[in-house]
Amino acid sequence: MLALFSAACLAGFCGALLGVGGGVFIVPVMVLIFHLPIKIAVAASIVSVIATSNAGGSSYVDQRITNLRLAMFLEIATTLGALMGAVLALYLKEWVMLLVFAGMLAYMAWAAFTTRNLDDRRIATDDFARAKPDRLSAYLNLRGDYFDEAAHKEVEYVVTSGPLGTTIAWLAGVASGLLGVGGGVLKVSAMNRYMNVPMKVAVGTSKLMIGVTAAVGAILFFMAGLVHFAVVAPVALGTTAGATLGTLIMNRLHSVSLKWLFAGLMAFLAYGMVAKGLDIRFHLHLPNPL
Amino acid sequence: MAQASLNQTEQNVYADVYRVLLAGMIASSALFAVGLIRALLRPQSIPLTTDWVKQHYHVSTVLHGLAHGDPTTLMMVATVLLILTPVVRVLVSIYAFWVDHDYKYVVVTGIVFLVMVLTVLLSHFGLQ
Repeated sequence: MLALFSAACLAGFCGALLGVGGGVFIVPVMVLIFHLPIKIAVAASIVSVIATSNAGGSSYVDQRITNLRLAMFLEIATTLGALMGAVLALYLKEWVMLLVFAGMLAYMAWAAFTTRNLDDRRIATDDFARAKPDRLSAYLNLRGDYFDEAAHKEVEYVVTSGPLGTTIAWLAGVASGLLGVGGGVLKVSAMNRYMNVPMKVAVGTSKLMIGVTAAVGAILFFMAGLVHFAVVAPVALGTTAGATLGTLIMNRLHSVSLKWLFAGLMAFLAYGMVAKGLDIRFHLHLPNPL
Repeated sequence: MAQASLNQTEQNVYADVYRVLLAGMIASSALFAVGLIRALLRPQSIPLTTDWVKQHYHVSTVLHGLAHGDPTTLMMVATVLLILTPVVRVLVSIYAFWVDHDYKYVVVTGIVFLVMVLTVLLSHFGLQ
């Protein structure tokens, strides 16, 4: 249990440094190092995701960075997605889930260094306030503003592309329910790239949404008896502690090499999950470094 | 005037949501920590099965466990609290939007709550 707690601390810490939840790291660690069944690992992860969302989400709400209306609206899509994903998780075979998880890790490893931050220029030119809202976003009054401490100014923005954003949010919900992750990477990039939401608002809003989304998956797994308390306790406490620490020092670290390191780590974990999945299904023994 | 009341409205919802998140976080973390420490002091082997987990889903078991400070029960209550935090957050938001006469968002948030209710119903009646 202590070992699991330490591992969860580290996973939460790495997750926060990279701007993703701990789930991406802790599920493979539970499966590959602690040899837990992936469904129990996913269920424990989804509960710990709620914990980190509460912790991280509350501070963004307190600073008024979160766009509550946008969060509530997109939550319809994410919770429906999470429900479908979690139901799917109950019925999928162990090896299929391992391969799907590996696929997501591989995608994230690729995405880790293709993300670029164009926010600074757009904030300086008030670009965010000038976009045209679509009918849905206008009807729901999805605009907002927040005070950007780095730019020392009030940033106004208009939300666009409601339907596209909703679709991606639904997909993030499916990933969350199926794989026990927050799906923050998908949601943040959807809001920032397509919906004209400044990065900080996207991160804060995503963090808040993750809690409600994960709760849907957690309820389903809990009723199915997959939420194992002896696993959840160290994982939830550990990821929260690690994520809090990681967030504290994240602002001081901004090196490209860090992203390379994490992308490598994720590719490595993806390989481990594929190896385990093939071993279970086809008794195929790929060399396993762990 | 309209702008002023809108800002007031938003302040209320933000403050309520913040309080719910903070309370849920502190309560569940504290229980997890106590449960974890007690479990480490009294190590026992625990089977990794859903049946073992489900045998704790009885009111009498929970009450008995709480009375004796049983680590598993403490961790279970912490888990339930944690899962309920976002649910309570949604309910509080519905109430806050209602008080502020923002009925469009009462509906939006109400739909989110309905999905959660649907999840409970599905897992109780529909699955397995």
